[in-house]
Amino acid sequence: MSARSTTEGGARVIEAGRPPERYARGWHCLGLAEQFKDGEPHEIEAFGTKLVVFQAAESGRLHVLNAFCPHMGGNLAHGTVKGDAVACPFHDWRWGGDGKCAGIPYAHRVPPRARTRAWRTLEENKQLFVWHDPQGAPPPEGVTIPRIEGAFSDEWSDWTWHSLRVDGANCREIVDNVVDMAHFFYVHNSFPTYFKNVFEGHVATQYMNSAPRTDMTAADTVASAGDLRSDASYYGPSYMIDHIWVEQDGATVETVLINCHYPVSPDSFVLMYGAIVKKLPGMTDEMAAAAAAETSQGLATGFEEDVAIWRNKTRIDNPLLCDQDGPVYQLRRWYEQFYVDAEDVRPEMTDRFEFEIDTERAVQVWKAEVEENLARRAAADAATAGEK
Amino acid sequence: MQPVECGDCGNEVLVHKRSLPHTAVQWTRSTDHCPELAGPDSARVPVCTRLRASIEQAVRDGALTVDDGGEP
Repeated sequence: MSARSTTEGGARVIEAGRPPERYARGWHCLGLAEQFKDGEPHEIEAFGTKLVVFQAAESGRLHVLNAFCPHMGGNLAHGTVKGDAVACPFHDWRWGGDGKCAGIPYAHRVPPRARTRAWRTLEENKQLFVWHDPQGAPPPEGVTIPRIEGAFSDEWSDWTWHSLRVDGANCREIVDNVVDMAHFFYVHNSFPTYFKNVFEGHVATQYMNSAPRTDMTAADTVASAGDLRSDASYYGPSYMIDHIWVEQDGATVETVLINCHYPVSPDSFVLMYGAIVKKLPGMTDEMAAAAAAETSQGLATGFEEDVAIWRNKTRIDNPLLCDQDGPVYQLRRWYEQFYVDAEDVRPEMTDRFEFEIDTERAVQVWKAEVEENLARRAAADAATAGEK
Repeated sequence: MQPVECGDCGNEVLVHKRSLPHTAVQWTRSTDHCPELAGPDSARVPVCTRLRASIEQAVRDGALTVDDGGEP
């Protein structure tokens, strides 16, 4: 697949391409539902426009509308919630959650067919989702956000939640991580020992086992102190549920991470992440919250490490791969299904594809690098001790 | 990639093995008829063990060559 690339005097030429002008079809998480339930309208910059999220005062339901009022373009996110409608700050036009104009106090009557765009919403896992489809169709059967039982259980902590706007990069950069085993060692100071991907339908999964980095102090690594097993799936283009089990002090710590994003423009997106942790026997709510906060801090560090790479890298449509790399081209073929019209989704974008990396060589080289780091540190420690 | 037929259900998939631990499997039809994968959560099943056994048998039989020179 990389054979299509051109060379210049034998040197590989990077095809940077251009990020797509359109936005992915699919459910996009906008954040924890609770944060929108304060009686105020909230502005979300997404999909090349602005949206308003508000809670209907009487029904209690969350709604998403185009932020700009079709009357004179006022921004509803700067307006007020009045009953089950949001009122424009410009002329007090009222808009219901279904997109219909619910009233114009100073007018005799509402113009017939006065309607703005209401976005389809979903509340799941205590998070709010919005459906985006450039063709305006509803989600196909089976395309939904799976329920995470832990999010509704007293045996688990509450969600931690963070968001981070990334400018100067298309959201494909974060999706590429699904297949990128080696970056976990070099960027995140983790140590993958097993790595497999499965793509099928609208789901893309990464199975990864990793070992602790014994050459790293807690300050250097977000990686776990024990053996880790991770099972992470994107459901659609932007919402990943990652189940993680870590062996620590004779117990298995179970965590669910969310890694999700929504596009702001072709070259910026908002990245969000959060975690819940299952309480171990004897763990109080406070201890579970602290464990989730600690996990979240680790996640924050991890994403900052990714962002530092994205800020300085180029977009690349023709990556030059080696034999230990994951299936970048097949992942992008899967991802493309969300960027073409529904009738143009080809079977190869959704047909099942499995790819298991032979990690033997990488593990051997990484072990040697860890040993070297340990030896260097021991020598430095000995030298410091000798000076005293 | 080379075709391999599942000894259990007869479905044919395309397989590339760069080494014994490495395996790439491309399905060319739905997993609806696979006894281990069929169902709403097929994407979340890591492997069909019967198909995996057939691939390993094909390597032992020499019907599937392990090829390090192929494309990544």
